[in-house]
Parts: sequence; C-alpha cells; structure tokens
Amino acid sequence: MDHPPAIVRLTGVDKDYLLGKVVVPALRGIDLAIQPGEFTVIAGPSGSGKTTALNLIGCVDVATRGIVTVDGHDTAKLSERDLTKLRLERLGFIFQSFNLVGVLDAFQNVEFPLLLQRKLTKAERRERVMDLLQEVGIDQYAKHRPNELSGGQRQRVAIARALVTRPQIVLADEPTANLDSETGNAIVDLMEKLNDEGTTFLFSTHDPRVVDRAGRVVRLMDGRIVEDVTRRAVGASRIAQSA
Amino acid sequence: MVLFRIALRNLWSHKTKTLIVGGLLVFGTLLVVLGQSLLTTLDQSMARSIVNSVAGHLQVYAADAKDNLALFGSFEGTEIGQIKDFPRVRKVLEGLPEVQAVIPMGIDSAVVFGGNVLDVKLEQLRAAEKQGDHARSHALRNHVRRIVVMLHQELKNLNGLVDKAKLTEETRQGLVDVERAAAKEFWDSYETDVLGHLEFLENKIAPMALGEDMIFLRYIGTDTNRYAKAFDLFEMVDGQPIPAGKRGFLFNKLTYEEQVKHKTARRLDRMRDRLAGGFQLATDDELKNWRKLNKDQHKEITYQLDDDSAAAVRKALQAELKSSETDLVKLIVAFMDMNDQNFARRYKLFYETVVPHLNLYSVKIGDTLTLRGLTASGYPTSVPVTLYGTFRFRSLDKSAVSGAANLTDLNTFRDLYGFMSADRKKELEALEAKSGVRAISRDEAEAALFGGEGEEVAPEAVAVTPTAVEAALDPTEGFDEFAGVDMATGAKTHGASLADLTYTQAQTDGGVVRNAAIMLKPGVAVADGLRAVTLAVEREKLGLKVVDWRKASGLIGDFVWVIYVILFTAIFVIFIVALVIINNSMVMATMERVREIGTMRAIGAQRTEILKMFAAEAVVLGTVFGAVGVGLGAAIVGTLGYVGIPAYVDQMVFLFAGPRLHLLLSPTHLLFAWAIVYVVAALSTIYPAYLATRITPLQAMQDAE
Repeated sequence: MDHPPAIVRLTGVDKDYLLGKVVVPALRGIDLAIQPGEFTVIAGPSGSGKTTALNLIGCVDVATRGIVTVDGHDTAKLSERDLTKLRLERLGFIFQSFNLVGVLDAFQNVEFPLLLQRKLTKAERRERVMDLLQEVGIDQYAKHRPNELSGGQRQRVAIARALVTRPQIVLADEPTANLDSETGNAIVDLMEKLNDEGTTFLFSTHDPRVVDRAGRVVRLMDGRIVEDVTRRAVGASRIAQSA
Repeated sequence: MVLFRIALRNLWSHKTKTLIVGGLLVFGTLLVVLGQSLLTTLDQSMARSIVNSVAGHLQVYAADAKDNLALFGSFEGTEIGQIKDFPRVRKVLEGLPEVQAVIPMGIDSAVVFGGNVLDVKLEQLRAAEKQGDHARSHALRNHVRRIVVMLHQELKNLNGLVDKAKLTEETRQGLVDVERAAAKEFWDSYETDVLGHLEFLENKIAPMALGEDMIFLRYIGTDTNRYAKAFDLFEMVDGQPIPAGKRGFLFNKLTYEEQVKHKTARRLDRMRDRLAGGFQLATDDELKNWRKLNKDQHKEITYQLDDDSAAAVRKALQAELKSSETDLVKLIVAFMDMNDQNFARRYKLFYETVVPHLNLYSVKIGDTLTLRGLTASGYPTSVPVTLYGTFRFRSLDKSAVSGAANLTDLNTFRDLYGFMSADRKKELEALEAKSGVRAISRDEAEAALFGGEGEEVAPEAVAVTPTAVEAALDPTEGFDEFAGVDMATGAKTHGASLADLTYTQAQTDGGVVRNAAIMLKPGVAVADGLRAVTLAVEREKLGLKVVDWRKASGLIGDFVWVIYVILFTAIFVIFIVALVIINNSMVMATMERVREIGTMRAIGAQRTEILKMFAAEAVVLGTVFGAVGVGLGAAIVGTLGYVGIPAYVDQMVFLFAGPRLHLLLSPTHLLFAWAIVYVVAALSTIYPAYLATRITPLQAMQDAE
C-alpha cells in the first residue's frame, strides 16, 4: 500500500534524561511514522515515555540519538528560532491543563497564534476564529475568560487554538485527563469529527476510552514500542463506527 | 498589540501589586518634578539675590591671588591680592559688547565701638563745659550723676551677695571710687575742679558702667554711586547716597537695625515679628527669653534718661501699670513683663512714650563713626567716616547674608586696608621730591605711617588735602601751595577732617582695588560673558582671574549644589527601592506565569515576543504612573508657584530672593522626570524579562504532567 510522505518520522530515536549524574533512558530505539489524516494514540502507563515522544515530535525537545523529522525537517538541525517557527506554522498543541492565557478571553486565546503568524488581516482573523469557535461549539462564549468557562469549554477553546493556524498535525497530551468522562467523550467526538475533515491527530493518553476509539494505537512500555496496531484506515472512523 | 493587551491585563489582574509599584513610581516622579523645580527656582532666585546685590554676574581679581575670592566669607584665607591697574581693566572690559559695567570693590571688615552711655554723656558734658553752655552742662551733670548713683546702687546690691574678702583689690578700689562719685560731696565740689572731676569720672567710673557696644561690620568698599546704579536690588532707605567724591558710609538697614538700634527696642521689634508669626509669649521659649532680657537689662533704658526724661517715662509707665510705684527700675521691670494680651499696646506705648527719650540708634545718620580695622599687614588703623544713610537690597530686607554687606567709599577702604591711595602716593612722592627724602617702598611707607621708626617721612605729612596735592603737582605752580596746607589739621591723620575730603573720580578710580564685579548686559548668558571676559583678560594680559557669581560667592554658591546632591541621593534611593520591588514582584509574577509563557513559546511565540510582552508592561507602568506622577508634580509645583513657599527663617529670604519662593514649572523637568520613570521601569524589567525568555515550551508540557 502506497503511503503519502509521513508528516512525522522518528528513526532509531533514543532520549535520555539526566537525573543528577544518573542517565535515565526515556525512549529506546523508536521508529515511527505518522501519515497525514491519521488519528493516532500513543498509549502506555505513566513513565512509559508517551510525553517524551510527543515533546520530540512537537519540536520542544530534541532526541539524544536518532533522527526526528517534522514536515521533512530534521529537528536536530534546526535553530531554536526555526523550531519555534515550525511549531507555529505546522503544529498545533492541546495540553492536559488546557494552558489558556488567563488574561485573554476565548476569542483572543484562539486568535493568538494568528497574531504571531502576522499573515491575516483583522477581518480574516475574526472570521477564521469565529468559524472555529462555532465548529467546536462555544462561539457564544467568545468573550469569556478561561476562568469563566468549564473544563470542557476550556479544552474546546484549546482545540480551536490548536487548529486555527491549520496545522499539519495536532499534538494532544492527555487531552481528556482533566475532564469527566462525559465531557471527555464529547471532546474525543469533536476531535474525531475534525479528523474526518482531514486534521491529523496524535494523542498521548492512558485513558482506555480514548484508546478504544483511536484509528492507530502505538503502545509504549519502558521507552520502547511494544505494539503498533492500525485498526482502521485513515479517515475511516465514522465508517468503522457505523459498521 | 495583543502583547500590550496581555501586559495591560496582567497589570490589571494584579491590582495590589501594580498599585504598590505604581505608587512608588508616582512618588519618585513627583519627587523628581518637585525637586528639580525647587532647585532650579532656588538656583535662579539665589542667583538673583547674589548677582544683583553683591556679586554681579562675574568677578575678577588678581591672577596671583593666594586664596579664592569668597564674597560671603570662607573657611580659607582672604588673600586675594589686588588688581594692579584698575582703570585699564575697566576700560578693556567695559569695551566688551557683553559687559554693562565694571564696579571696583574691596571687601573687608571693621569694628565700630559704640561707647557706653556714660562715656557718651561725659564726652557731651566735657564739650558743654568747654563751650560754657551752662544749661546743657547742668542737665548733663544731672544725667551723669543719675547713672553713677544707679551704678552705685547696683554695686551695693551685688556687694551684699558677695563675700567681700574674696573681692579683688581692683574691684574693691572700684567700689570705693563709685562710692565717692555717687556721694553728695563729689557733686558739691564739682564746680571747684571741673576737669579733675571729669577726668575721675572718665577714667575710674566710666569703665565700670555698661560695656562698650562693639559692632562688627562687613563692608564693601566701592564706588557707591556706580554700585547703586549697577545693582538693581540696591535701594536707599533713609538718608542720602554718599555724595560724589566724598568719604562716607552706608549701613545696610538690616545691620543698622540689628546692631545699631537700641537693644531693648530691637528685642521688642523681634518679639513683635515673632508674635506675628503665630508664636505666643505664654508658650514660646524664645519670646520668654527676650522678655526676661528686657526685664533684666533695664539699665539700657534707665542710664539713658536724664531727670526730666525719667519723670516723663515714670509717669507714662505708672499710668499704664495703674501703679503708684515711684522706683523707675521697678516700673520698667513691671512694664517689660508683657504677655500676649498686652504686648501690642505696650509695644506701641514704648515707642510713643519711652523711645523719644532714648538714643534709638547709637550712630545716627549724619554722625561720624570711626571704623577700626587691621591693615593687610596687620597694623591697627582707624578711619572716621560720615554715616550718610541706610540702604537695603530690595526683597532681601531680612536676609542676614546680604544684610551683612555695608558700603563705604573706595578711599576709606584703601585707608583701612592700608593701601596707599593714589593721591597719597603722589603726595608722598611730591614731598619726597621737595624734601629730598630717599625713596621708600610701599611696605616701608606703611611702616612709616603706622609706627615705623627712624623714617624721615613724618606721618602727618601724608594727610594733605588731595585738592591741595593736585595743585601742588601742577608743574606751573610749584610746591609753594603747600604753604597753604593746614599741617595742624593734617597732623590728625585720622581725625574728623578726613571725612570732609573730596576726591575726583580719577582719584577714586586710580587707586588700588582688590576685586571688581562685572555686570553683563541684559540677555547675555553668564557662561558667554565669562568666556568673553576671560578671552579679553588673556588677550590684554590683564593678569586677572575671572569667576562667575557662583564661584565668587564661595560656600553660599555651593549651597544649591549641596541640596542637589542631597535631593538626588534621596531620589536615587527611592528609585533603587522601586527598582528592587518592581524587579522582585515581576520575577515572582514571571514564576507564576511559567506555564503561560511556556505555552506561548510552544504555540510559536519567539523569545523576542516574550521580551516585547515584558517591555510592554514596563512601558505601561512608566506611561501610566509616570503620567500620574508628572501630573501630580505639575499640579503641586503649579500651586506652589502661585501661592509661593514662605521663607520661614531669615536665611531663606536670601535663597528665595524674597519672602516667598514661587516655583517655576518647566516642561523640561516634567519630561526629565518621565524619562527617569521609564528608565527605572525598563531597568527593573530586564531581569524578569530575561528569566521569561529562558522559559522553554517544555516547561508548559512538564507542568501538565
């Protein structure tokens, strides 16, 4: 089966952390490629290396050994400035604790990456942000500050912020961990819907509900991939569900 | 823009912190505005006081001076040499387009002895006896007798308190003398030996009476008429200016009041002023002290009263006190025991009924006063001059600094200072030529004048009238004119006749001066004038040092700089405190915002953008609180400019150039203060901003785990 070129590729990647003088291996010999449109979960217990893998892919950390390429760029060879630019242009982030800017309202939080990009006019920004807020279902809360929103609403704002620059891949670190199950399910529903519309998602999670709904599951244990299962074809979640 | 919004929101969401930081910034700004305005105004007003009363814009003095010129005194010496050729200096400098006038000066101090009441009365008595004025002699005799009796009474009282065995021989003898002078027999026998009695009183009794009044005077010897014209704060109060070419003295009104006026009257004046300032006799120690002195020093009044005056004063005081007491001393003591209720009435009464019988000023306008001083080489000298009047420096009436400056003519100064005035030098040369005396140097001449031994030039030969000398020097006339010179009068070198001499302007200009004030034309900046004069002095090789008024005024000129240093140290400390507090609170805020900043970085914000966000906070802080501080400062300065800061003590009058200091509001000061706030805000943001740029996106992630 022919694959389009991978958005993210990890080849023989090791990551060590220094804990005082002790070297703690976090990842060992990881080989992984993420194709466009995938809805992938990196699963595993705490300390298995999920977040570390996500950080390497998210260009916020660099591998100790091996090669990480994002959108064709070897991240080890990019400057700090270029990495930041790569994150801005190609990646979207969803955090476990939502990480919204407390002093900005929902609209401004979502608009923020667009302002950093400096590509769109004010009207264009407004249109895109409002469309997204509508899409994630919280357009009526555009003027609310994060502390005036529920956890689920905040995560929706965070999702809208991650999508607003139309990134090639959205990285989500335990996006449902701080949400009750109902809200968590609704968030996963939303991400599935967005995935159907073409957004590539890569999660780290140990929430079985999320794992069950993933198109592909990469299971980590002690820094190594112990399982990599593709359950359905790209963009086929809806089809699978209805089947 | 969003960064500004975040900055604003950040400040807003930490209101307490922002207010504390803002308060500090506002306070600092306020202080800068106020301080600068105060100092600039103070500097300008002080400049006005100094420039227009004593110093002029610039001062010149001999380049080879040992000490620096200090017009208001200094801790160093006052050896400032002398300007060699003043007429040339004036010609060159007054030729400059920047210079308005050059006024010659010699600043020095002298002492005037007031003489005690008994001395004065005895002198008058002697004169009356000499003139055969019996009526006056009789009145004066009674007055002298009153004083002696009072003195005797006092000594007797004192005697009762002291163990006689412990008295010195001198004191014991004094007691015996006073007893004799107070006795009826002494006065009964007065007519038989007038001179003998007078001598006894003058030599034995007078020294035991009230001590002599010694007046220390700081004076400026100058061309008083040019001075009056050039210094626009100068203003005659009483009397008249010294007539052109005459010797004379002008008291500064303040000195005149402080030192020459009758002491009890002066104390009452002071009490009146202090009471007007809101103090109360019931509570204020200073006022109580003056009241006590007035009661204790009743002699200041009683000694001056003759029988008739004493009777008049007694009657007035009895009426005021509703008393039948006849002892004048007791009446005066009771009268002087004033309180807040009766002060105003008694003050008025004192001036209406007591003062007419007193010698209100020990030296009156028209009197001749004898200035005593030391010449440059240390010889005592004295010069009699006529007191023509009193003057003041407008709006500096109460300033002791400018009030210390009295004026005399240049020739008197030269005599006191031991300079040979031009005419005297000529005289001397003329006399030498005539009598074939060997030439003597100036120093030797002085020695000859004031006690050098074995010199052929008799000192009395020197004091010929200059007009006569002029004639004598006329080659057509020869020296026969000397025949007309009254050598007997001249012999009293420093006798009263000296005061009557007349000098031509050339003679006045021609002699030695120590320093000269330069007045610049209106609109010429002091620095420009200084440059022009310095260049001219170098070009013409005048051998002068040129200094601006600030330097010339010595310690006083430095005063503003001292305040500057103190104030700016205070401002510096406040801003350092502000800086530390802002820095700390921002570092703490940064620590609280690690996740937020990490998230921004993860989303794609560059370090520079994080930096901009912090800069925006600094700018907002600086703008908002700087504006508040500047606004408040401007309002306060504006108000103080309108109302004026009152000069609470007399020294402040000089600094303020008047009774109130009206602060000036300058846009430069406001901008400067605002700029400082920006700098402080920026400096205090540097470190937290640096910390913030070090936050990695990873920290946003880790926090979440």
